[in-house]
Amino acid sequence: MNEQRKPLAYDPILLGCVLALVCLGLVMVYSASAITAHEKLGDSFFFLKRQAIAAGLGFVAMAAAMKLGYRRVARLAWPFLLLALVLLVAVLIPGVGSAAGGARRWIRLPGVSLQPAEIAKIAWVVYLSYSLAKKREKMRTFSIGFLPHLGLAGILVLLCMAEPDFGSSVALLVMMFVLLFAAGAKLSWLVGSVLLGIPFAWTAIAHSPYRAKRLAAFWDPWADRKGSGYQVVESLMSIGSGGWTGLGLGDGRQKLFFLPEAHTDFIFAIIGEELGLLGVAVVVGLFGVIIWRGVRAALRSPEPFGTYLALGITALFAFQAIINMGVAMGLLPTKGLTLPFISYGGSSLITLMGAAGLLLSVSGSGEGAQRRVVKPARRVAPAPMPVTGGASEAPA
Amino acid sequence: MALRDLKHAKANNPGRWLSVRVRFLGLVFLALLLGVFGRAMQLQVRERQKLTSLAQDQYLRELEIPARRGDIVDRRGVPLAQSVEVDSVWVDPSLLPEPLPAARALAKELGIDTQDLLERLEKGKRFAWVKRQVTPLEVQKVKALDLPGVGFTREPKRFYPQRELAAQVLGLVGTEGKGLDGLELAFEDELSGEVATRSSVRDAKGRKLFTEGREEDLARHGASISLTLDRHLQYLAEKALTKAVEDARAAAGTAVVLDPRTGELLAIASAPRFNPNAPQGAPKDAFRDRAVTDAFEPGSTFKAFVVAAALDEGLVTPTTTFDCENGAWRIGRHTINDTHPHASLDVKHILQVSSNIGAAKIAQKLGREKLVDAYARFGFGERAGLGLPSEGRGVVPFPRADVALAAEAFGQGLTATAVQLAAGYGALANDGVLMRPWLVQKVTDADGVVLIEGHPQEVRRVVSPQAARTTVAMLESVVEKEGTAPRARLDEYRVSGKTGTAQKVDPVAKGYSDKRIASFIGMVPAEAPRLVILVVIDEPKTDVYGGLVAAPAFKEIATAALPYLAVKPSRELETPPSVARADAPKPAKADAAKPAPAPEPKAAELKPSAALAEAFARVDAISETPAEGSVRVPDLRGIGGREAISTLLGAALVPQVNGSGRVASQSPAPGSLVVEGSRVTLELASALPAHPR
Repeated sequence: MNEQRKPLAYDPILLGCVLALVCLGLVMVYSASAITAHEKLGDSFFFLKRQAIAAGLGFVAMAAAMKLGYRRVARLAWPFLLLALVLLVAVLIPGVGSAAGGARRWIRLPGVSLQPAEIAKIAWVVYLSYSLAKKREKMRTFSIGFLPHLGLAGILVLLCMAEPDFGSSVALLVMMFVLLFAAGAKLSWLVGSVLLGIPFAWTAIAHSPYRAKRLAAFWDPWADRKGSGYQVVESLMSIGSGGWTGLGLGDGRQKLFFLPEAHTDFIFAIIGEELGLLGVAVVVGLFGVIIWRGVRAALRSPEPFGTYLALGITALFAFQAIINMGVAMGLLPTKGLTLPFISYGGSSLITLMGAAGLLLSVSGSGEGAQRRVVKPARRVAPAPMPVTGGASEAPA
Repeated sequence: MALRDLKHAKANNPGRWLSVRVRFLGLVFLALLLGVFGRAMQLQVRERQKLTSLAQDQYLRELEIPARRGDIVDRRGVPLAQSVEVDSVWVDPSLLPEPLPAARALAKELGIDTQDLLERLEKGKRFAWVKRQVTPLEVQKVKALDLPGVGFTREPKRFYPQRELAAQVLGLVGTEGKGLDGLELAFEDELSGEVATRSSVRDAKGRKLFTEGREEDLARHGASISLTLDRHLQYLAEKALTKAVEDARAAAGTAVVLDPRTGELLAIASAPRFNPNAPQGAPKDAFRDRAVTDAFEPGSTFKAFVVAAALDEGLVTPTTTFDCENGAWRIGRHTINDTHPHASLDVKHILQVSSNIGAAKIAQKLGREKLVDAYARFGFGERAGLGLPSEGRGVVPFPRADVALAAEAFGQGLTATAVQLAAGYGALANDGVLMRPWLVQKVTDADGVVLIEGHPQEVRRVVSPQAARTTVAMLESVVEKEGTAPRARLDEYRVSGKTGTAQKVDPVAKGYSDKRIASFIGMVPAEAPRLVILVVIDEPKTDVYGGLVAAPAFKEIATAALPYLAVKPSRELETPPSVARADAPKPAKADAAKPAPAPEPKAAELKPSAALAEAFARVDAISETPAEGSVRVPDLRGIGGREAISTLLGAALVPQVNGSGRVASQSPAPGSLVVEGSRVTLELASALPAHPR
């Protein structure tokens, strides 16, 4: 745009929150992993270095997404989803996917390891937003508005469960329900499908001893403190001992091999221990602001695709954050979900920052669109037209 | 209704219904987030205590650290008892794969009994001492065995840098760090401090990572005790006493040096002695602080009290003459004898030749009540009150029979401790005022707060100044050629004293045996006594008389002690100054430098002149402080580790030892001036050429 008074192309508050979380994440990853890394790998900076590189790449992805603009991403919805499906299938092939801890979730490439489920979540949100925006008039039709999405979700979930990755499966389903609800799907369908899903979930749990154990551990982690409840109990003790202001950054005790996965899924426990309720308040507050600004962006978006996309991404952040923190505090059974922007993990950080870029892109468009009601709508028109205009022109 | 609304909304404003749903979802997420925060509050505020203690249970291990036991130092701060840290070896028997070979190997390296060790290993499930307080060399040997489950703990050990010096006064400390005897027992509460618990952080693998807080801050160290004893005088007394006991082939002996003006005990010596650093081999007999605990029949030394009391009552004067019955006086069925028969003697000569008959007659004149009362006023029959364990009291029975009255007049049929006797003479030397004898100058806790402070304490006026002075003056004749103790005579100082040769009661036959207790007690200088020196020799075999076996030891102590204390010689005017200087240049010089105000009875401070102190320091080969609070680091290179440690502790320095063997290097360098209590690091090496012995 070559206008002289160019408004900000993004929401600075949202950007600030994301960057703050990424920075806090780097600090906490180092604090939580240094001793383990030194002990096992001989380099206390091992995880910090990798996370810093991922943050750099994530920043590039975020900037790229903002530059590209969310509207152009609409055209990539299908290719993106197909790529995710291919990766989800590929990860299951022994030799391509690499197993760790009883799950085959990573594709190890030279230098990087890819977690297809992380990509699938974003691809799924983008696709759903695109699809719902396209079908907006037919959303109340069961066969068009509901069933295809449910079917597609089924495929994705099955692939995820094959890894197995229960957390991502739930995330995919929740994203779908959130977006279907927003798009106006009938509540009876949503509730009905959840009820229908319960036997499946039950079977999934009943057929997997580790999930059953996790559920039992969730009900009463103290019953088997040294066994299945160990991780949750250690996490609770970490957070509890933090108190109001924490033991001080770096002074946590639980990372001394007491708390497994202190720098990944349970990093929130270390935050609670070292930074106390104050640190927890900061993290919760930052996510709260992200939800607020995300919803604001969704509401200000001039077209439904932007609205759905912003809502979907916001929901993804919120869902993962709530689940992760809830698990760490024993509110929910253990899932393999990261704390967005903070947990160690390249795939997760890069894809979530990319998603944040898309959200920021929506936030920018909204402000511009609302301020200049007619003119910019026309100027911007060529790109979003296919999405907002008609289904026929959607890129295949 | 909802359906129609939705349709309506869609028709008019497709975004409106959407925005409601989006807002609703946003609020749901915010509400859930708030719930998460609520849970965090619950955990971090309400359940904090519980969760914290649970967490601490797994990473904190409580260790008991015994407080450092306080030092015992002499009146000038020279350490007599200190605590050092030594290693103890323990084992977790559950980690030993094969107890028998392990126990054999350990027993061999540490010189302990295999069977004993095996029993301990069986008893302790997770912990058993192998050997406590081992040497660095033994630590190395055990480490070389590389046995699983064997650990080392630093334990405080009591160390007596002056070895035998004042050992019986100081007492002993057991392996558990509790005082067993002497001052160590009497001041157990003050010395031991408070045991602190220390938390150390461990990781999930049980490895100790670091300790919370500084150890020094946590342990409440024991109070230190400074005594009235003077290391040098104690040394002199012990040396002279030991020699006298050996020369007389006696069973035992005691010596007490007391400042009559203040009641301060400057030396309390007992023989035989023992080394408290290795008390195992010593005879049980050697542990007793005889001067304090043992009450004995003192003999003729008591005659001075009889005379003083009679003078005080105005019943006699020095020239009052008594019929001495030609050496044998019959009282009822008993006969009292004098060593040398005399027809009659005046009071002065009764003391000079120590006539039993004369003393008995004075006592008779005084009467039973007054005699017993006088003895009580001199402090006999009641504890001196040093606060030491099993302090003797002595008995002064009321003499119903005439013979008992006569016997008590020459110190038989009653008992007293050496300290009581010295204090009683102290009253004579102090113009008739009895001062409470005391030993503990100050008890200072770890923070420098003074818990107990000793002061000179008047007990009572026993006799008038005139009576006391006259008695002291008359007692000067004892060391004259005609007296019983010419051997106690000093060249430069006037001596006033009394011999004692008491018969010992045979505990089996219930009568007096041929065993004796020989003693001499002197007050020097006689014109204004600064010291009371008592020497008691128990069961001398060569000679039995106090004037022969005890007086020389008195002389040896007094000869060295008086110049050390810069006491002005009595006979400066009698002998030409040039001769005096040639005889003893050091004291003369010291006096020239600092004119000592000799007749100043209330100068409570007992300070040796600096020049003399230095001179004596060299003689003793014990480093004295060059300036207040600073020490010169001794040259320790090439000497054995154990010896080096004891030298450092003797010089009020803290040894820090690495390795074993002989001192290869030391830091700071020899001769450097450092603050008292500084650390001196010694690098020991056994690589040095071994010295064949």
